[in-house]
Amino acid sequence: MIPYEYYIALSGLLMVLGLIGIIIRRNIIAMLISTELMLNAVNIAFVAFDMKLHDVAGQVFVFFILTIAAAEAAVGLGLIMAIYRLRKDVSVDTLTELKL
Amino acid sequence: MELTQIAFWTFSTLAVLSAIGTIFFRNLVYTVLSLISTLIMVSGLFFTMGAELVGALQLLIYAVAIVVFYVLVISTVPEFKGKAVDPKYMLLSIPVGFLIFLELAYVSIYGVWQSNTGIFSPEVIEKIGNAKAVGTMLFTKYLFPFEVASLILLVAMIGAIIIGRKEEKQEAQG
Repeated sequence: MIPYEYYIALSGLLMVLGLIGIIIRRNIIAMLISTELMLNAVNIAFVAFDMKLHDVAGQVFVFFILTIAAAEAAVGLGLIMAIYRLRKDVSVDTLTELKL
Repeated sequence: MELTQIAFWTFSTLAVLSAIGTIFFRNLVYTVLSLISTLIMVSGLFFTMGAELVGALQLLIYAVAIVVFYVLVISTVPEFKGKAVDPKYMLLSIPVGFLIFLELAYVSIYGVWQSNTGIFSPEVIEKIGNAKAVGTMLFTKYLFPFEVASLILLVAMIGAIIIGRKEEKQEAQG
């Protein structure tokens, strides 16, 4: 049996990799993909705590996270399509209308 | 070495390697393929933890449905002219990310020591099955969040349609 600390360490590693991806990528689609990595890290942590604490509530929350991730992908990609149609570019370096 | 240990090390190594590929590949198609690999490996990790229902849902919803969204959008946004990875932030983000990793691991491992254990012990799970346990909790205690989640999906669907459609009236007038 694998100790749950290994799963938590893996979850933290995936979370940090997703965070680094959001920081260093300059493309909105790649940043959205990095958020999916972070959501998966949270899912692993939920299920690992379930295994440790003998409960199933975390798996129910993983179910909700899957639902919210689908909604987030639909709305986020719709926004990216709108941005692309408006500007013909998806780089965050040129999206500076709100900058003073 | 046990079978679960072999499965855990294989899945976790491949998941981390695929995640590194996801954030460092310059071509977006390779990025999405690495994301699919990561999602499938995370699903395998769910199976090694004994969460069969969640693992199957991960394969169905994440690795198929959500990734298809990304592939559709990438096929309509043809080329990306800017630089894919900004080296200015890369040197800073890796040590900061390592510190955040240490903090996350410490806090989450320390927090579990003081929590109560639930009623679904491995004997109970073995008797009624994981899918039945999760379904029972989902449709009794968490029924209201379940309904709210369905409402969120409806709102997101309508919002995505309204945001993503072409505004043909204004083009005709202008």
